[in-house]
Amino acid sequence: MRTTSGRRVGAACVLALLAAAAGAQADPSVAVSRAEGRLLHRRVPDVPLHLADGRTVPLSSLWQDKPLLVTFFYRNCHGICSPFLAWIRNAVREDDGLGRNYRILALSFGEQDTVADMRSQGEALGIDDPDWLFAIADREALARVIEALEFWYRPDPATGQYDHTALLVAVEDGRVKRALVGGAGFAERFPVMARELRGEFIRSYAVPAQTAWRCFSFDPVTGRVSVDWGLLILQTAWRCFSFDPVTGRVSVDWGLLILGLPTLTAMTVTFGIFRRGPRRR
Amino acid sequence: MLEQTTVHTTHTNTYPDVVGALEAAPEARATTMPATLSTIRHWMVISAALFVILALLGICMRLIQGDVLPGEQSWFYPLMTLHGDGMAGLWFVAAMACATEALRKHVRASNAVAVFALAGTVVGVALLLVSVLVGRFAAGWYFLYPLPLHGEWPAWSAVTFLLSLTVLGATWLIWSLDMLRAVAERYSLPHALGWHYLRGESEPAIPPAVIIVTVSMIVNVVALVAGVVTLVLFYFQLLTGSPVDALLMKNLTFLFGHTLVNLAMYLALAAVYDALPAYAGRPWKANKIVAISWNSVLLIVLLAYFHHLYMDFVQPGTLQYIGQIASYAASLPAAIVTIFGALLLVYHAPMRWTLASVLFFLGLMGWAIGGIGAVIDSTIVANVRLHNTLWVPAHFHTYMLAGFAMIAGYFYHCGRRSADVDLAAESVGAYQAVILNWLVAGACGFLAMFYLGGAYSVPRRYAVYPVELAHGTAYALWAGAFAAVFLIAAVLCLIEVMASWRKEAAVGEERPAGHPTPIGAPAAAHADH
Ligand code: HEM
Repeated sequence: MRTTSGRRVGAACVLALLAAAAGAQADPSVAVSRAEGRLLHRRVPDVPLHLADGRTVPLSSLWQDKPLLVTFFYRNCHGICSPFLAWIRNAVREDDGLGRNYRILALSFGEQDTVADMRSQGEALGIDDPDWLFAIADREALARVIEALEFWYRPDPATGQYDHTALLVAVEDGRVKRALVGGAGFAERFPVMARELRGEFIRSYAVPAQTAWRCFSFDPVTGRVSVDWGLLILQTAWRCFSFDPVTGRVSVDWGLLILGLPTLTAMTVTFGIFRRGPRRR
Repeated sequence: MLEQTTVHTTHTNTYPDVVGALEAAPEARATTMPATLSTIRHWMVISAALFVILALLGICMRLIQGDVLPGEQSWFYPLMTLHGDGMAGLWFVAAMACATEALRKHVRASNAVAVFALAGTVVGVALLLVSVLVGRFAAGWYFLYPLPLHGEWPAWSAVTFLLSLTVLGATWLIWSLDMLRAVAERYSLPHALGWHYLRGESEPAIPPAVIIVTVSMIVNVVALVAGVVTLVLFYFQLLTGSPVDALLMKNLTFLFGHTLVNLAMYLALAAVYDALPAYAGRPWKANKIVAISWNSVLLIVLLAYFHHLYMDFVQPGTLQYIGQIASYAASLPAAIVTIFGALLLVYHAPMRWTLASVLFFLGLMGWAIGGIGAVIDSTIVANVRLHNTLWVPAHFHTYMLAGFAMIAGYFYHCGRRSADVDLAAESVGAYQAVILNWLVAGACGFLAMFYLGGAYSVPRRYAVYPVELAHGTAYALWAGAFAAVFLIAAVLCLIEVMASWRKEAAVGEERPAGHPTPIGAPAAAHADH
């Protein structure tokens, strides 16, 4: 009796552990997409920029003493630009790293944009910080940066607007250190990026929905490791148990450790072969 | 027509050739069974030829690293892959062949499977040769995912390599299953695993070789199925383009590769358990300790491979600790029990030192030395320094060369027995003693260079050492020279082994009892027989 209940308690603990682990499954929004992966370590060309305060400076001067976050926008955008810039502003305020750990450049790709538009964009967002810069660049210089960072945009003659993606790139010493492409999951991903810019080692970034049967998932935000399906394929010291959701009963099927597919196969084969007992003496 | 032999379940046939076995024999229950076809001679020829060729490739690699063959640097990695896979596979099949032979007098394996194992291995090796020599496939012996799919070699060579592994894996799986079937025909599972010894019973007497082979074959199925899953996942990615989890692949690869090479050693030991008593003049019986130790291997050997993943920070820490504990534990039952068992067998025994028994002893010694190197490397704090340095090839070459010594010894033993000579009348002759001395000297020099390289942080798998690692170049050159000495001695030794099958071959001189042989032990065997 005691053995059975002891087993149940053991199995329930394992179940609870696994459930907790499953809850800590890596958030796919913290994942690195292929497009982002492609940009890593890319060299960013050093081009002249015209800043909102009227100065013209080389882009490289902005990443000389600290990493630089680069994003693209145009002043007259009716779409994502303003919300995206506002979102970056809020995230940066929350992180409290601007000026200390990084600086930000919002570079306009709008053909009509002027230095004055840059000032008004800053005012519209309520941003007045020497480490948050708005700038325009000459067409050729802009094209080089845009090409290096694979920023995609296309004028839409029907609306007079641009179709474009949202991009935030962290540049350190002239090379891309991390990139966030497309708006999804920025809220979760920006803090991780900021930690990396502070010099923290981010152990891994998940590759979303591209990986079948992983062993363990690692959540870079919480640092928690959780069990995944691949483990069942592998031999490992995990208990095999069944849970009946109707009665709430947890029972141990094999009683001991399950050792995964290869080991289960070997056990089945061995018992199968020895099942009939010796036929010869 | 198969030869018919009479087999009894007695101490005599359980411990044949052993003094005292006859007296200990209870009444025999006779049955008639056809003897299994012996393929040991074919395996011997194949193994000897491949060993020499693959060792030559090893010497080439050392010379490339020593900057003696500067034009051939681009061949380093294909050669490394062929050498590594070839040697590991060869070691496994040769050990399997010896273990099968050792069990031939106890169980009846299938003749068809024996031939199939030979044929399948030849086909697999042919595919491997095409992949590496024509396609220049160079992902290393354990083809760590995803490298095979991303190298500079053409895709077909990667596919051919995977096919070669598929053929070899399937063949060996069938071979292992047949061995298990053969054991199951004669013994129940608890008897085959020696569980009755745990209960304090001593009957029926189970030869240790049967226990070791049963344990090894069960674990082998685990390893080979893990290999099959690894290959299936490779094919899955090839066909769908969807990548699989790299950590899972690494776990599976080492569950397959590490376990397989471990088992090769255990199988070679089964052969030593079978043959060494014939020279010691006393039986090497299974008992409670032998049963406990080999049964614990069942679990421990499956967990030790975690030490290959110490540098993989995403592997949960618990498994890393399990890896270290299992690696330590692995050396206790099999190594300590076997090595001390062998020492006790030999101690004060009327030992006959022939080429076979000396090679067995050298093999066990090498296993102990390489094992210590392995235990050091599997200690996490040491591994931080030694990981992927030449320390790794240092320790595994030590016990793999040791394994080959045991295998060569067993081939020699089989040769002498098939030539129907009186083992008691033989000893190591002066010529064989000289060869053995050169063999040991060459091997020690070659291995010392690996160990020194490892201790001085020379990384493994560098075709060319940069200036910061210039000492690595010097070690490689010396290693090349020592390896050449070793290989010449090995070839001469293998010639002796091959010649041992000739009936008229007289080895060693007859000596009166008590007269020391060149190795120094009294050849007292005459007195006993
Ligand atoms: C004269 C004998 C031998 C020589 C000269 C030799 C030489 C070498 C060399 C130079 C390497 C590459 C080391 C490096 O990583 O820098 C190597 C790797 C290796 N050798 Fe040997 N070896 C010999 C015997 C053996 C034997 C007997 C076995 C196995 C039974 C073996 C199995 C391996 C394996 C598995 C590798 C690893 C390949 C890889 O990293 O992918 N070798 N050997």
